[in-house]
Amino acid sequence: MVAVGLWWAQLWGTLQEGGPGSPPAWPWLFTAGGKRDEELILPINSSLSVTLHQDQLKTTTTAAISKDFTEDRVWLNGREEDVGQPRLQACLQEIRRLARKRRNAWDGDPPPSSLSCKVHVASVNNFPTAAGLASSAAGYACLAYTLARVYGVESDLSEVARRGSGSACRSLYGGFVEWQMGEQTDGKDSVARQVAPESHWPELRVLILVVSAEKKLTGSTVGMQASVKTSPLLRFRAESVVPARMAEMTRCIQERDFRGFAQLTMQDSNQFHATCLDTFPPISYLSPISWRIIHLVHRFNTHHGDTKVAYTFDAGPNAVIFTLEDTVADFVAAVRHTFPPGSNGDTFLKGLQVRPAPLPAELKAALAMEPTPGGIKYIIATQVGPGPQILDNPCTHLLGPDGLPKPAA
Amino acid sequence: MPLGGTMACEKPLAVVTCTAPVNIAVIKYWGKRDEELILPINSSLSVTLHQDQLKTTTTAAISKDFTEDRVWLNGREEDVGQPRLQACLQEIRRLARKRRNAWDGDPPPSSLSCKVHVASVNNFPTAAGLASSAAGYACLAYTLARVYGVESDLSEVARRGSGSACRSLYGGFVEWQMGEQTDGKDSVARQVAPESHWPELRVLILVVSAEKKLTGSTVGMQASVKTSPLLRFRAESVVPARMAEMTRCIQERDFRGFAQLTMQDSNQFHATCLDTFPPISYLSPISWRIIHLVHRFNTHHGDTKVAYTFDAGPNAVIFTLEDTMADFVAAVRHTFPPGSNGDTFLKGLQVRPAPLPAELKAALAMEPTPGGIKYIIATQVRPSTLWGFFSCQRGPPRLGPAPCPYRVSGRKPECLWLLCFIHLLSKEAAGHW
Repeated sequence: MVAVGLWWAQLWGTLQEGGPGSPPAWPWLFTAGGKRDEELILPINSSLSVTLHQDQLKTTTTAAISKDFTEDRVWLNGREEDVGQPRLQACLQEIRRLARKRRNAWDGDPPPSSLSCKVHVASVNNFPTAAGLASSAAGYACLAYTLARVYGVESDLSEVARRGSGSACRSLYGGFVEWQMGEQTDGKDSVARQVAPESHWPELRVLILVVSAEKKLTGSTVGMQASVKTSPLLRFRAESVVPARMAEMTRCIQERDFRGFAQLTMQDSNQFHATCLDTFPPISYLSPISWRIIHLVHRFNTHHGDTKVAYTFDAGPNAVIFTLEDTVADFVAAVRHTFPPGSNGDTFLKGLQVRPAPLPAELKAALAMEPTPGGIKYIIATQVGPGPQILDNPCTHLLGPDGLPKPAA
Repeated sequence: MPLGGTMACEKPLAVVTCTAPVNIAVIKYWGKRDEELILPINSSLSVTLHQDQLKTTTTAAISKDFTEDRVWLNGREEDVGQPRLQACLQEIRRLARKRRNAWDGDPPPSSLSCKVHVASVNNFPTAAGLASSAAGYACLAYTLARVYGVESDLSEVARRGSGSACRSLYGGFVEWQMGEQTDGKDSVARQVAPESHWPELRVLILVVSAEKKLTGSTVGMQASVKTSPLLRFRAESVVPARMAEMTRCIQERDFRGFAQLTMQDSNQFHATCLDTFPPISYLSPISWRIIHLVHRFNTHHGDTKVAYTFDAGPNAVIFTLEDTMADFVAAVRHTFPPGSNGDTFLKGLQVRPAPLPAELKAALAMEPTPGGIKYIIATQVRPSTLWGFFSCQRGPPRLGPAPCPYRVSGRKPECLWLLCFIHLLSKEAAGHW
């Protein structure tokens, strides 16, 4: 899911998560920035996101519990991570707490000793990690969802996911999702809820322009802490700008007002990055290529005399583009022209099929941009999608019968 | 300075040449509440730079033989009908009509009906965020005032040309009070501290690019006022306290406070540009590298020893104290190795070459970007000596060390020039520049 209006991340960001218990991964589009509670991960403002289809982007997570496991272990993209890491611990503890409390059995009682068992978790993303593509959200939502299935927990998982990574709670639903900031200090009312289902806006398309898969310079957690601490503009944004924008964005979605949706998406992306610049020391997530993409979108829209394309950027240089189905081909043509693929011309465009379209001469003239070969590594074309899915096929498990990650195929 | 042989008459009624400084805002002006009178949405504060390194030079001549007003900028004739120029000319003429005191004896009674020819040159790139509008219009206002014998406050004349130009009417540290009146009479510049106040302060201008900026300031700030919610909040709720704090830092020579606030305000200005729709970006990749360089340099030293500020362009203005200048220039040379102009890379004040300490080099941890900075101008606030700009053709007395650069080729300067410059010098000595 792509979140629109995030407390730190942007408004839009939802990537799918897939796999045995695969919540959608989401690149949050809309970033609000900042927490009001660092431990419970409570945001300073609400946020809104779009869940993306898992056919194109997902986190796949397998969780296995066994009385033979001697300790909790976690692998991410094949590499073992430190399970003592506070976010992981917070998730595990919260899930186990809910399991103890659970009322309804899950498909019959889970093994009675499950709570005393250790868990092995393996997770893979099919997109770059830590590069502003919302991998934390996807990952933690998937973890929450998968652990819930393993432990038979059926209650609301907002808190479990949130404790891992704030915006992860929005990955627990498909379609259009808001994370209500809540007011209670215990965070019980800081929950995600669906604003509109994935079937609501079938013409909406999403293009992820992958500029760089490199790890971002300033991590989101540290970055947003600095912003909350040092940026006067951020506080004003959270208190005085976002609430009205949440209402307006909700209206745009409900009415399928693409022009309004697009303008607000771009404005909120820019404002998020503005608060990063207003941080001290300043944070810059937009690379020169990001800026060229911004200019491309504005010139494309100006040429068409309408807002037909929107960009949004999270805490990284990659662009998430929103447009309607009837504009995808033209915009992809404009992107190819401005950022000619390197050697990967055939695999430059992944995901949904996009019919090749010639670039009209007037548009080419209107864009008036020197091509930047290789500026964009590849494009993922996708659309709005459903929430977490459970995979039944045992072949999809990432852990073998021994509880260890299967060798990569 | 030749006028390009464009003077059609033999004896202009009056010819005056003046120079005006560049000023660099440390609390930024961005956004107007009145487009015609050029009234800002917030106050601003600037540092006036030394004219030895950066200046606009303007000559104005009035003659009854001139048939129309004409203006040349850096040798190229400009459209004198341009609204800003017209506003300046009209305002000066209005003040001339009102003036009370004669200028060293009555000026020629018909001066107000004469047309004026104005030529102006900058010794730095125009329209690239190096405050050329400010210096230019301040110089124009000041020069026209001398030609027409106007002695009143010139804030409005300069401001009508380019808002921040009013800050170039004073040396040292200058604030432009935003004012409250709708007629703008209280939107004036005033000196906060004289140029002699902080003698250790140094300024380095890192010229990244002399190209014309993409979005002009006037259009840019209109878009910001119209579309950026953050800008309104900045103007109303952030800048007033920052003006007071900056004033305190200057008065107390608190460099750490001055530097941090300068950087924060630069960043916040650029943040409001990003919050504009469509967004405006004045910071280039090299600008960002300079920002990172400064922060790492400061972190390494465990103190805020260097500050950056950027206007509506990619060039950086660096503030530091005299004792840090050599080290920082060494860091800049290392990170942005000069191209072929190694000898002329550093202009202006002398900076002793300093080796880059190994620990600092390691701390900076930045891949060199050869040619990223075109050149550096090292300057300061406080003039080191009295300077004189006057015609040497009149013979002695020659005040000040600099030879006169303002000869009109092939012409003997008028007597008025000498009087004018003496007058300017006396004003300078009194700290009124």
